[in-house]
Amino acid sequence: MRTAALSHLKKLFALFALLSVFNVFAAADLEVNTPGVNAIKASMQARHAQLVPFYNSGAVGIGMDGMVAICSAGAVPLAQRQTVNALVNAENADREALYSEIANANGHPEWHNEIRQTFAQRWIQYARPGWWILTERGWVQK
Amino acid sequence: MPSAIPYFLKCCISRGRWLAVLMLLSGSAFSADFHVTVSDIAAPAFSAHGISLDLSADGSAELKIELLKLPQREFRPVRLRCGGFSLSGEQMVCQHGKLDALPDAALAFSYDFTTHALVLTLTAAGGESWQVQGALGAAWQLSAQMRNARVARLAGLLSQDVARPAAGRLDGSLRLAGDASGARQFSADLRVAELAFSDASGQHAAEKLQGSVGIEAQRRGAGWAWRGNLDWQSGELYWQPWYLQGAHAMQAAGRLEGDHLLIEQAQAELSGVGRVEFSADWSVQRQGLQQAMLRGEHLALGQLFDTWLKPLLGKGVLAESALSGAADVALEYRNGALQALQLGLHDAGIADATQRFALQGVNSTLDWHADQARTARISFAGGQLLGVPLGAGAWTVNMNGLDFSVPQAELAILDGRLSLQDFHCFRTGNDWRWHFAGALSPVSMERLSTAAGWPKMLGMLAGRIPQVSYDGEAVRVEGALLFDVFDGTVVATKIELANAFGRAPRLSGNLAMRNLDLDLLTRTFSFGNMQGRIDADVQNLELQDWQPLRFDARLSSSAGDYPKKISQKAVQNISSLGGAGASAALQRSFLGFFENFGYDRIGWSCVMRNGVCTMGGIGEDGGHTYTLVRGGGIPAISVMGYNRAVSWPELVTRLKRVTQNNVSPVVR
Repeated sequence: MRTAALSHLKKLFALFALLSVFNVFAAADLEVNTPGVNAIKASMQARHAQLVPFYNSGAVGIGMDGMVAICSAGAVPLAQRQTVNALVNAENADREALYSEIANANGHPEWHNEIRQTFAQRWIQYARPGWWILTERGWVQK
Repeated sequence: MPSAIPYFLKCCISRGRWLAVLMLLSGSAFSADFHVTVSDIAAPAFSAHGISLDLSADGSAELKIELLKLPQREFRPVRLRCGGFSLSGEQMVCQHGKLDALPDAALAFSYDFTTHALVLTLTAAGGESWQVQGALGAAWQLSAQMRNARVARLAGLLSQDVARPAAGRLDGSLRLAGDASGARQFSADLRVAELAFSDASGQHAAEKLQGSVGIEAQRRGAGWAWRGNLDWQSGELYWQPWYLQGAHAMQAAGRLEGDHLLIEQAQAELSGVGRVEFSADWSVQRQGLQQAMLRGEHLALGQLFDTWLKPLLGKGVLAESALSGAADVALEYRNGALQALQLGLHDAGIADATQRFALQGVNSTLDWHADQARTARISFAGGQLLGVPLGAGAWTVNMNGLDFSVPQAELAILDGRLSLQDFHCFRTGNDWRWHFAGALSPVSMERLSTAAGWPKMLGMLAGRIPQVSYDGEAVRVEGALLFDVFDGTVVATKIELANAFGRAPRLSGNLAMRNLDLDLLTRTFSFGNMQGRIDADVQNLELQDWQPLRFDARLSSSAGDYPKKISQKAVQNISSLGGAGASAALQRSFLGFFENFGYDRIGWSCVMRNGVCTMGGIGEDGGHTYTLVRGGGIPAISVMGYNRAVSWPELVTRLKRVTQNNVSPVVR
């Protein structure tokens, strides 16, 4: 009986710990403004204009992991495939850096993954209709 | 005729392995129709399930295989109809055949059971023909002739994982011969036009390829000896990460032994680059290079770098640079790493895309070995760094594997000279590390600032650079970095640049400036003339991406005796920096009469945190007011500040407005 009560208490504590982590993360400032965040955002903004035609053509799509990926390289002329690969690599490097920078600016580097997940939902939400999203079922058009 | 059927099946199936053969002969003396069913045939290279052959009274026949398995491919069902089919003890003939998978092509074949001669032809519109001839005896041979053949027909035979042809025409011949022990000879002479292929990911693809391939191979013991040539005339190829356009040509000869594809000797003519000779040992199973040697003379560095090397570099300063000039290259690769490199540079040059640096007229003969010490001499005719011209130089570099050092080097910068001492660059794990020390002999600030596109500064710049090191993450300056500027000194300590080559570099350190000449300083920045000397300290400075995050700055008149004058315009500018209200302290009645005023002390402090500068003046003034300039002499003037907290970006905007617009003060 006593053991069962203890186990119940442990579960409650675990739940409480989980909820408090969630609450703490909910307090994360995703709009935090540091020169590092600004530099990354500026770099991503400049690249976005180059990426849009590739999102539109379906060559590049958006992952559920907060990253972008080549969806259909066949939609890109051969001479531009180096460019589109480089754009995707650079964009993903910036996104990774952005999540780290925001986590660091919040004083919680360990929040990196939660921040990435939150951004992943945002990117998908902001994606224009017709852009491709990589889901568990494969590529799906928004 | 029925008596021939078991013989035929036995003949064909005996090459494979029996799983189960169920043979049903249906029909009777009253009907000329026959139905033959064979359940399974399995051989090392293929297996077929559910085979049936229907022979009709009108001389036609239909062969159906429910499931045909080739290596990495499955077909279901495969159906062949022969408009005219005959089968005798001597031969089997199919005429006017149609394969379901190739509805546009006519197929015919014959097989002689005695001579084992096979002839198979496939023809289609546009003069397309594929003809396979074979003699399948103990010493067997197979040959194929293609004329205007659609390469896309082969796509169905290939696995989805490899690059499969989508378009193009093929002409030429293939020949394979052997005996009971296996294949002994192979040759190919093929010409392709408008060839396009791609794998599923699109990372290995080609379009509009035009060219020819020739291969001759003979069995030598357990392996093969081969010789081949490739003439790629036009078209484009993307083989991640490389993008190539024709024309290129290559001849090669070598052996194939077990897992090893050996290229013993090859020459390639690379378009826009030059001719290279190479040898290589490629592991087929591991898909990796085991060993290679490459040699080329007078190669065009620009194209060699752009096409072949840059795609391997990813991001970085070098990846955004352009090379020029010519190079002689000889390299040896073994055990997963470069073992030796001889590099002769002839009038070579490098320039980064954003014009930050360039080096021209580079000449060198470099003989580098992974495990031997060597010395190289590199000379250059000139260059530029951030717009500042660099003079000619010649450096001696000591190399010992991935450890490079330059004990002493000089770099001419305008009328001055940068001396480098004990430059040492080496690799630890995956990181490159380096350190150096140096000194800068006086450079005219006027020439330097003009060349770099900064506001024109006067005086000379000279300095001492203590040990500067990079540990793979941060650049650190050990000791004090000392510069002479504006006739005073600048000492920088605890300088550290974290994430130095990353997205947002973070600089921290302390600056102590002493005895700067205010006259030189204010003339440089068009601030309105001030005379005197000033000390400035910037403690706990932190910049991220070159934008200040925090600092504690303090400016104050230097100790000592010197003329102290401040112009009307400077007074106005200082007061406008202090924000509205500061000018209230001006003794306006005097301003209209005098161009210059005397002062006793100047003082200003700013503690910057979170984008807000909390300002102070000469001393610990109480309340909201603080003294920026304390009057002295005749006529004297004092400038007071009233706003203690000012947004840093706003202060910078005001300062820019004051220095750029060069506005005249409005005095009423």
